Amino acid sequence: MKQLTQRLGKEWLFCDGGSGTYLQEHGLAGGELPETWNLSRPDIIEKMNRSYYEAGADIVNTNTFGANVLKFGDKTDEIITAGVNIAKRARHAAGRDDDAYVALDIGPTGKLLEPMGDLSFDRAVEIFAQIVRAGAVAGADLVLIETMSDGYEAKAALLAAKENCTLPVIVTCVYDNNGRLLTGGTVETTVAMLEGLGADAVGVNCGVGPDMMVPIVERLVKCASVPVVVNPNAGLPQVADGKTVFNVGPEEFVHHMSVIARMGVQVCGGCCGTTPDHIRLLSDTVRELPFIPQTEKDICIVTSGSRGVVIGDRTVIIGERINPTGKKRFKQALRENDIPYILGEGLKQESQGAHILDVNVGLPEIDEPEMMERVVKALQEVTPLPLQIDTTDVKALERAMRIYNGKPMINSVNGKKEVIEQVMPLVAKYGGVLVSLALDEDGIPDNADDRIRIAKRIYEAAEHYGIPRRDIVIDGLCMTVSSDTSSALATLETVRRVRDELHGHSILGVSNISFGLPARELVNSTFLTMAMQNGLSCAIINPGNEPMMRAYYSTNALLNKDPQCMDFVGRYSEYVAFDKQGSTQTQAAGDKPQTGAAAGETATVADAVKRGFKAQAEELTRKALKTSPALEIIDRELIPALDEVGVGFEKGRVFLPQLLMSADAAKAAFEVIKTSMAGQEQQIKAKVILATVKGDIHDIGKNIVKVMMENYGYQVIDLGKDVPPEVIVDTAVKEDIKLVGLSALMTTTVVSMEETIKLLREKKPDCKVAVGGAVMTQEYADAIGADFYGKDAMATVRYADSLFC
Amino acid sequence: MEEHLYKEIYRYLGYRGMTPDEQTDALVAECLAQAREEMQPLSAVRRLDVRHTGEDRLLIGDMDIHSHGLARNMQGCEKAYLLAVTIGHGIDTLIRRAEVTSMMKAAVMQSVGAALVEELCDRVNEEIRIAAEKEGYHCKPRFSPGYGDLALDLQRDFERILNMRTNLGITLTDTLLMVPSKSVTAFVGLYRGAQECSSGGCSECNLYEDCTFRDEG
Repeated sequence: MKQLTQRLGKEWLFCDGGSGTYLQEHGLAGGELPETWNLSRPDIIEKMNRSYYEAGADIVNTNTFGANVLKFGDKTDEIITAGVNIAKRARHAAGRDDDAYVALDIGPTGKLLEPMGDLSFDRAVEIFAQIVRAGAVAGADLVLIETMSDGYEAKAALLAAKENCTLPVIVTCVYDNNGRLLTGGTVETTVAMLEGLGADAVGVNCGVGPDMMVPIVERLVKCASVPVVVNPNAGLPQVADGKTVFNVGPEEFVHHMSVIARMGVQVCGGCCGTTPDHIRLLSDTVRELPFIPQTEKDICIVTSGSRGVVIGDRTVIIGERINPTGKKRFKQALRENDIPYILGEGLKQESQGAHILDVNVGLPEIDEPEMMERVVKALQEVTPLPLQIDTTDVKALERAMRIYNGKPMINSVNGKKEVIEQVMPLVAKYGGVLVSLALDEDGIPDNADDRIRIAKRIYEAAEHYGIPRRDIVIDGLCMTVSSDTSSALATLETVRRVRDELHGHSILGVSNISFGLPARELVNSTFLTMAMQNGLSCAIINPGNEPMMRAYYSTNALLNKDPQCMDFVGRYSEYVAFDKQGSTQTQAAGDKPQTGAAAGETATVADAVKRGFKAQAEELTRKALKTSPALEIIDRELIPALDEVGVGFEKGRVFLPQLLMSADAAKAAFEVIKTSMAGQEQQIKAKVILATVKGDIHDIGKNIVKVMMENYGYQVIDLGKDVPPEVIVDTAVKEDIKLVGLSALMTTTVVSMEETIKLLREKKPDCKVAVGGAVMTQEYADAIGADFYGKDAMATVRYADSLFC
Repeated sequence: MEEHLYKEIYRYLGYRGMTPDEQTDALVAECLAQAREEMQPLSAVRRLDVRHTGEDRLLIGDMDIHSHGLARNMQGCEKAYLLAVTIGHGIDTLIRRAEVTSMMKAAVMQSVGAALVEELCDRVNEEIRIAAEKEGYHCKPRFSPGYGDLALDLQRDFERILNMRTNLGITLTDTLLMVPSKSVTAFVGLYRGAQECSSGGCSECNLYEDCTFRDEG
């Protein structure tokens, strides 16, 4: 038999149709799991498979859609093996051993992945890996991953398939009318990620009927380089007599599918509600239409779970601030595991106009792979911006690429053989846009000729590893002009020639150009303009540096990259000319004053905190630091103000929103102090642990307590949500913690709270436990053996003070 | 409508009869706009037969339920709707993002999400009421799994019967929490005969005494 890969994308192929309706007609009950019939009613499954082979389907799915260990436990392998064997028998009976294939069908796990849900990415990969291994051993010809409504889960399944068999893999997803997955991915971002991971074909199934799929198919064929698969439902589901039915018959179905087939798809079939009759008419009709193969697309796109950034059209801004180099406060955050600080840096750059965030967390004294994984996970939970993983630690790189939800940018490889051999296989496996430095074993060439020569070698190496040319971005290398005044010219020439001669993409860490000079932003912003004119694709800069952003927006307008100058006008319509500015700086659009600053003037830090004016609290603290020591500001302004608000809250005069507003303002003031003192020993009352217990994934209450505790001088080890008892107890023992705060939202998770307390009593008896959360009461707290029930955040602070002050 | 929504948001924030300041008002408006931008409201309903099979025991569809609270709620009902609604994942991301920069904003976003999903639930409930009244039924106040003595395990039945994962994108954690968090499931019982006098408001709740979110208005 001809291998599927020899035919896929080269001739028409047809998938089978739905199975639910068929099985219900044959007696499948409401709550019954169809996969069990592989064991109990194999005759009917075989008949169904066979009728699809006979109808003309070239690819028939095994009855294993939901056959995973979560649903079937230790029966899983047996059900999958049976499913594959049944399909093979059906193919034989249909006389199609020579020209049709058995697809190991894999649907979603039914669980949502972290961080939104409670299934970890690694566990998801394991679950899919088991299915793939069982199916491959049983003799499936391909893996068909379908009905994926979460790109992250699709990644887990595809990775599992690629790691556990050598079969071709097709992945089809469910998109809504706007071409989005349930979890936010678009057609374009999903295709980019799946192609990067090595999918042999991609497509769409389920959700809607063929007519409504047209706009999605249009986008699919426009962005995909691999063959496109389209398997719609027989219309939208309707409920009749308590049963779900689909009303689009074979003629109507095929009428619309003929339109879709002409759009340039390569594989057609059906999903819910379609029958062997639908597929017969489909294959008879569409086989007669001209076959259009898929073409290679020259699109370089970096994606997150929900957003894609195209490289090549206009210069992309990559925010450089998540990087400890030369930043005391950032280093401190890394050492203290202060992830929220790092997230804050990310969100700030997003609001300032970054398109992609560079992520560098390398520090000699920390476990970089571990930190990289934590930071990437945390960032992709809060920002839609794609990330650029920036590390020289190959382990850290692989961990990040594995758990990344999308197609990342990788910083970086260079012309050195050893580095190429380490980095390129990872990019080939996981997919990514690869920053490639034009340097090699002989160092950094001082001229463009040699840099271009190295760039060419990097392209060749990429080709060798199967990394598409479009996914390479050449770093033209910025060297400071203060040591070699011709270096900027060499860099600019390199950038220009990457575009004109290599037809490739380029990137620069722009601010290096001015190292050692005064007034660096003058040089940097001018250089950015020059580089953009020479075709720079990506600029790694600090988007919070206004002169750089001015240069960026002005240059785009001048280079005809800003239609109607909309972006420029939007950002600078209220710009005040330099000679009229006086001492006040114009605020950029992305840097609006915080709520509160405009609401009235206050004179002291204490006033600002009491009234909850965040921006003013920051500003006044900065001013106060010029004349008073930090401790004095804390003792005389911040603490008394917080106390006043806190007492008001306890007495019922102040409500939670005001308490939180003050807390936010105080936190901002403390952050200013912390930055000014970064590197110095800081006084704390005690180190405490806060955690939302296992099984609970909502942690706003715990986070409120955290802000309050930190404001009152406690160092909080925040273990996050869904935390197993062992992790809490181990941390308490390791850090010698005397107070643990636990939060639980539901009665179902109070059990985990009780377990945690029991284990703490056993392993760390001198540690007190405070509990809180929506369902918690004093009686409940007593019953599970807690030392204290905190009815709100203030109460917990007071309890901690009673222990430590 | 909008006024009611604001009132609910402030109630969730813990304002009991107090007028919020301008700053908070502005923040609520901002959060509400953002939440609406991101919101993807979806709902599913299914009508099933109800049989009273014993004391505190009901058969709704194929669900054999032991619950004093629900049995009392369903007194006289021959049919019941299962309903599930969600406003989607966007709100959860907005809450997460807010937590990084401002707990105040996070708390407001949380309340906005809760108010929006309740509003959606009210709307779907109203559609049920209108449809039911055409057939001569009246509706009981809605009753959710996890409330009173009604087992949270019923979430699995809702998931199965309404096909929540596929139709609404709602999944359950091992501990039976719904994701997205701003989702609601509930029973709505239908009965014939004279309409009972029931507001379905706070005063009917068994948590009335201790609840901090009680409607004082």
